[in-house]
Amino acid sequence: MKSRVLSVFAFLLLLLGLTACSGRKPVLRIYNWAEYLSDDVIEAFEKEFDVRVIVDVFDSNEAMYAKLRAGGGGYDIVVPSSYQVVRMAREGMLLELDHAKLPNLTHLDPLAEKFTQDPEHRWSVPYLITSAIIGYRGDRVEEIPDSWAVFDDTRFQGRMTLLDDQRETLGAALKFLGYSLNTTTVSEIGAARDVVIGWKRNIAKFESEQFRNGLLSAEFLVVHGYSSDLLQALEEDERIRLVLPREGISIALDDLVIPVDAPNPDLAHAFINFLHRPEVAAENMEWVMAMSPNQAAYPLLDPDFYANELIFFNEEIFAKSETIFDLGEEDQLYIRAWNEVKSAR
Amino acid sequence: MKRSRFPLWVTAGVMLFFYLPVVVLVVNSFNQSRSSGPWTGFTLDWYVRLMGRRDIWMAFRNTLIVATGASAASMVLGTLAAFALHRYRSRLQDVHYTMIFTPLVVPEILLGVSLLLLFVALGVERNLWVLFIGHTTFCISYVAMVVLARLQDFDFSVVEAARDLGAGPWITVRRVLLPLLAPGILAGGLLAFTLSIDDYVISFFLSGPGTTTLPIQINAMIRRDAPALINALSSLMLCVTFLLVWLSQKLNKESRT
Amino acid sequence: MKTEKFQSPRVLEALLTGPGLIWLLVFFLLPTFNVLLISFRPSTLTGGIGEGWTLETFTQLRNPNYPLIVFRTLWVSAWITALCLLFSIPVAYCLARAPARWKTRLLLLIMVPFLTNFIIRVFAWKVILHPEGWVASAFIAVGWMEAGTQLLYNVHAVVLVSVYTYLPFSLLPVYAAAEKFDFTLLEAAMDLGCKRLEAFLKVFVPGISRGVWTATLLVLIPNLGAYVIPDIIGGHRSMMLGNIIARRLFSDRNLPHAAALSSLLTLLVLVPMVVVIFVRRRREAST
Repeated sequence: MKSRVLSVFAFLLLLLGLTACSGRKPVLRIYNWAEYLSDDVIEAFEKEFDVRVIVDVFDSNEAMYAKLRAGGGGYDIVVPSSYQVVRMAREGMLLELDHAKLPNLTHLDPLAEKFTQDPEHRWSVPYLITSAIIGYRGDRVEEIPDSWAVFDDTRFQGRMTLLDDQRETLGAALKFLGYSLNTTTVSEIGAARDVVIGWKRNIAKFESEQFRNGLLSAEFLVVHGYSSDLLQALEEDERIRLVLPREGISIALDDLVIPVDAPNPDLAHAFINFLHRPEVAAENMEWVMAMSPNQAAYPLLDPDFYANELIFFNEEIFAKSETIFDLGEEDQLYIRAWNEVKSAR
Repeated sequence: MKRSRFPLWVTAGVMLFFYLPVVVLVVNSFNQSRSSGPWTGFTLDWYVRLMGRRDIWMAFRNTLIVATGASAASMVLGTLAAFALHRYRSRLQDVHYTMIFTPLVVPEILLGVSLLLLFVALGVERNLWVLFIGHTTFCISYVAMVVLARLQDFDFSVVEAARDLGAGPWITVRRVLLPLLAPGILAGGLLAFTLSIDDYVISFFLSGPGTTTLPIQINAMIRRDAPALINALSSLMLCVTFLLVWLSQKLNKESRT
Repeated sequence: MKTEKFQSPRVLEALLTGPGLIWLLVFFLLPTFNVLLISFRPSTLTGGIGEGWTLETFTQLRNPNYPLIVFRTLWVSAWITALCLLFSIPVAYCLARAPARWKTRLLLLIMVPFLTNFIIRVFAWKVILHPEGWVASAFIAVGWMEAGTQLLYNVHAVVLVSVYTYLPFSLLPVYAAAEKFDFTLLEAAMDLGCKRLEAFLKVFVPGISRGVWTATLLVLIPNLGAYVIPDIIGGHRSMMLGNIIARRLFSDRNLPHAAALSSLLTLLVLVPMVVVIFVRRRREAST
């Protein structure tokens, strides 16, 4: 009995020991969304720079922020959405970037500047652009209107979802009403809140994680979701249809940043620069199914991929759409409206 | 005299209830559909893909290390605590009792944030030891509670009898006390182990670079990745568990005969 | 010499109490207390923690929606606990009366499903309760449910999956107590003219009362703060207190408010519990 317990402990110590001494090579620690970086890109980087890469994953900007804010860091690269970047920079959580180590920034598409609150790239480098759109089951639902009004349709009651995100979902309602999704006018936010409360009676739930699997299994028939997820779902099942609402959508830019307490900032710079090599950026885009604002990479893409208007939006959509910006203290307006939505009966 | 069959039926029903999702999970690990929806065809693809996923196996290994360590430590600490609580009636034990069950009351999120703030203040690097400490902290209470239930009407005259018969304190503990308490300690340890391998909230805050545990990995993967992949992993875990249980039973039987 | 040390009850008591108590002091009481203090801090509008002290957070708790959510949390948790006990007591009885070599085997058989991952088990329930799955089809055929509606995302689904998840938590302590129950007492009671059910309720259930009590604690309390199951299985009409705390912490970035809600929840449970526990302990001590 005692010897068995001892041997278990010895085994554990051995395992712990193995972890401790397995890394002579320098290590790059990345904190990213799941499935948001190509494995081949990681391997190529590991080989070329003779380092080891550890990727940890988070499931929302908020959870990531709560953890880093409390000091749970130790990462060299983090991938927040651009509105989160401003917040993190303001709180002194980010390292100022050294542009001398990032020569590939010259490849950046000037278009990306529309979607960032950090146009000089003092703290962040654009990584990938995605959007929040509507997906539905073509086999269960006849053609739906290209409008956010679909969430008013009682035919799909209990089989639709909206994102569980205050800015995205109130933003969709603001767009539906023809307002800016970064408005700080109380009456406009109030009107959007009432629209979402109406939608809420028709949906199964607010869902930011399961809309893709729910759509694939036909548990949900109409979902509001992120384009990269929905495009990956479409690849798998051609019965899925995607719609860009004519009122406009929110386009999100996810950025690469280096936390102020990064153990290995030099390697982090090298990695950011690596990701913006045209051939690497092109490979990563096709893997994740999202647009990287890297001009030099566009010619290297598969022409079909480059022609996909759900990834590379046309001028018209760009003109109507906006990016969620950090509103500083005015964010409270959205928090309050969202709490009212959540507790409405 | 005939015993009622009713408890037997309830037990059978509960077993069915327990294994229903497990069957669904195992079946779906062979389903071609990524999203575990309707059956679309048989495949072993998920198992093949699972083998190539370094990140999942790392997370799996971390989870096992932490769960084994935390359940072992909490079995020792929890049993000692339960024993003290049962044996003595004093001001100290009143405080002790309150301390043992308050962790059960505090919401997990709060526990996670507060432990993270503590480790940040101490400047500790977030390695597996940190997770081990966090898990042990919430497991102690569960073990203590279960062992305490076992100690109900524990007859201390047994201990005194053993001592009167000349057994030293160590022998008394090992030959009399531990065997009597073993089912309780084992039950508590099992509970602690299942709690530890399932913990998401506290682990989320306490994990650092490279110490991702399985629940964290799964939570992040479930959004974009296929649940089928995790179903395959769970099925493998079930197989290994059954194998271990069967082996330990066999060994036990052999050592007895 | 050694024996002497063991015979001194105070030293032995300190030795037994010390390790666990110190561990919990350092890794539980100290950090939690620190966070509870934060609830008296003002929150900055950008999500940080301000300077100085305030009671403002507690006045914000007078939110007209909170009473409903608190009531729902209590009601749902009570249901889950009651159902768990209802199932565990007969099962524990059955296990405890099983032949010795079957006991561990059955216990392990019961525990094995719970060695898979919790979230995955919850997702397996989503497959079972899928609106086009076989359970739903059966319900529609019998006429219990309309086609095209959902079995998921309501309070009943939350109760079902929570009972599934927490049943082992009530089963283990009840079994641990039942295992050493003296079953001849039951036969004696029946010899004295008790009906089978009567003997079960009046002799067996009181005989394992501490196990039942522990099971109640282990199921009720975690459910009061639960948020993962209501989040995945519940809909927007089954929000619980745990969901609100998570939202205050993650999406509103208001740590003081989250801390205040948590301390409120803790006090809500702790105060009645402390009273009950001490009454019980005193009574046990006196008998």
